[in-house]
Amino acid sequence: MTEGPLLPPQHRVERRAIGWWALRTVATTAVAAGVLLVAYLIFEWSWLVPVLIVVAAFGVAHLVVTPWWRYAVHRWEVTEDAVYVCTGWFVREWRIAPISRVQTVDTVRGPIQQALGLATVTVTTASAHGPVALVGLDHQAATEIARDLAAVTQATPGDAT
Amino acid sequence: MTSEWMRLDAKVIWVDLAKMVLSLIPMALTTWLFGDGIDGSVFWPALSVAVIGVVGAVTDLLRWLKTRYRITDERVECRTGLFVRSNKSIRRDRIRSVDTSARLRHRLAGLRVVVVRAGERGAMGDTGVKLDAVSAAAAARLQAELPTGRVAVPDSPAPSGETVLATLRWQWLFYNVFTVWALAMAAGLLWGGYWLGNSVGLDLASFVANLADWGALGLAWTITIGVLAAWTVGAVGLGANFFAENWNFRLTWTTGPNGTVLRTTKGLFRIRQVDRDEARLRGIRLAQPLPWRWIGLTDTTVISTGLSWSASTVVPRGPIGDALRVAAAVLRDDRLLNVPLTAHPRAALRRRIGWAVLVTLGLTAVLTLLPDRWWLVGVAALPVFVWFAALAYRALGHALVGAHLVIRGGLNRTLVVLRRDAVIGWTFRQSVLQRRLGLLTVRATTAAGSGGYTAPDLAAADAVALADRVVPGLLTRYLPDQRRGEMPGLQPTVGSNRPH
Repeated sequence: MTEGPLLPPQHRVERRAIGWWALRTVATTAVAAGVLLVAYLIFEWSWLVPVLIVVAAFGVAHLVVTPWWRYAVHRWEVTEDAVYVCTGWFVREWRIAPISRVQTVDTVRGPIQQALGLATVTVTTASAHGPVALVGLDHQAATEIARDLAAVTQATPGDAT
Repeated sequence: MTSEWMRLDAKVIWVDLAKMVLSLIPMALTTWLFGDGIDGSVFWPALSVAVIGVVGAVTDLLRWLKTRYRITDERVECRTGLFVRSNKSIRRDRIRSVDTSARLRHRLAGLRVVVVRAGERGAMGDTGVKLDAVSAAAAARLQAELPTGRVAVPDSPAPSGETVLATLRWQWLFYNVFTVWALAMAAGLLWGGYWLGNSVGLDLASFVANLADWGALGLAWTITIGVLAAWTVGAVGLGANFFAENWNFRLTWTTGPNGTVLRTTKGLFRIRQVDRDEARLRGIRLAQPLPWRWIGLTDTTVISTGLSWSASTVVPRGPIGDALRVAAAVLRDDRLLNVPLTAHPRAALRRRIGWAVLVTLGLTAVLTLLPDRWWLVGVAALPVFVWFAALAYRALGHALVGAHLVIRGGLNRTLVVLRRDAVIGWTFRQSVLQRRLGLLTVRATTAAGSGGYTAPDLAAADAVALADRVVPGLLTRYLPDQRRGEMPGLQPTVGSNRPH
């Protein structure tokens, strides 16, 4: 990965996450294309054909490019002081939150993630601007990280605002 | 305070009965006036007024019967509801605001509506505990005693009594009347007038049609006159509304037994008092919407935890001079708003001009669908968009002044002053194109206000350095190596076994 404005977090995500991102794209594209195809078969609107082709092409391009790009970018790190992640592909995003400001820690596992043995740890602060999400973790590692984080958070006094 | 369950004030019953009688008057009047030959267009509105009024009053009576509240040393609790029982409680140290308000009927009966809010987003919803209504004396007592949560801010000078920051100025009327909302207001007023005129047999539409020979004036003039007339009607409506809402407006620092609050009192018929705990204020935000920049119109809001948007607006829209004066008084520091801000790199201007060109291309592409040479309008709009880009670039700036982070940006030239200790994390964003331009967008996340304040397109190294100075220590170990050499005191953290 090229040099960024900050040093990247220490850990890469699981290689299986590539599969997760790919399957997500496949599922989304399949649903969108499927709806269009059914609409075309029922109503026989000819202008649906180019739309369908564009959607399919976009899906394939997304599938070819993004999972590997994401794998190159995505990284995470949890220290005694902070939760730090780097995510994205075309737009990279670094999020960092001090442990002392963490309010809740959740683990989330969607159906595809369950099949691949992956999990997401969502760390929320008092900000309304979205949580710090550690995606593409091994599900057992995720459980441990969430447990440790929860323990540290409990030990911090104050209402973390 | 007492810890027994209390009822709302008994005068609520009298208010309800009065409301019921009042809502029956139109019905009685129409029956008396028209007798048997009642006209449907008069009968149905009168009947619906009566039904809505009576049902509302009866519901309110039941609510009064079933509502109990109590204030203990730890909590404010309220039980209410006939079919759906609700039991709300707020811990006293979580209380973030206590608002009182009174509609005309409450004021005539000496009543006040008190709303106690806790700060936690989502958990309590936006509703809090609403006591509708208690006596004015009880409301004053609640407001004085309740915001007890924290000890007051230690480092504030806390003058005793009351310091007035602003009172209503007539010039503000001008800033609150000339908005696009005037047209919406006019639509409402005209429709209401047309409907009312119709029910008493006055045809406003044909009256207007006969005012002038519209056909001779032509379409363009008709539209111009129509819009101007509507705008005037709307402006008058907005002006009346502005005064009804902001009559006797006063913004004060008020020191009570439980610390200092930023207090607004205002209202002609419905008076409202909002207290904002100083310990929860985190900063201030001044926005100058682009369409009204030329008259210096400014919106002033405080950045605080646990305040609704309407409660965080501390002064009505007004000129920039007044806004700056109030903001300085709220921040207790007039230096903050006068510091020269560091401009952002030229590359940020290039990025904005790029957007301007893209928007022009998009607009032109859409306009080619129209017949004739409409697409030329799109091309002609390019200088306007480039001008916007230059404005947006000139708005960009940042500074770190003592205990505050100051950032400015956007087409609305939004200036944000945020306390450094309110920053609870950072988000940096960089697209591939931004990386090529060496730019980085940084957002300070916070528990207060909108939850995050963005400084777009700083030079990448400056963005990281700024964030590191605002919250010392958090980012230090992630700064790129070459910076560590330059800055004394920023040694690599021991045990951070990262690959170099």
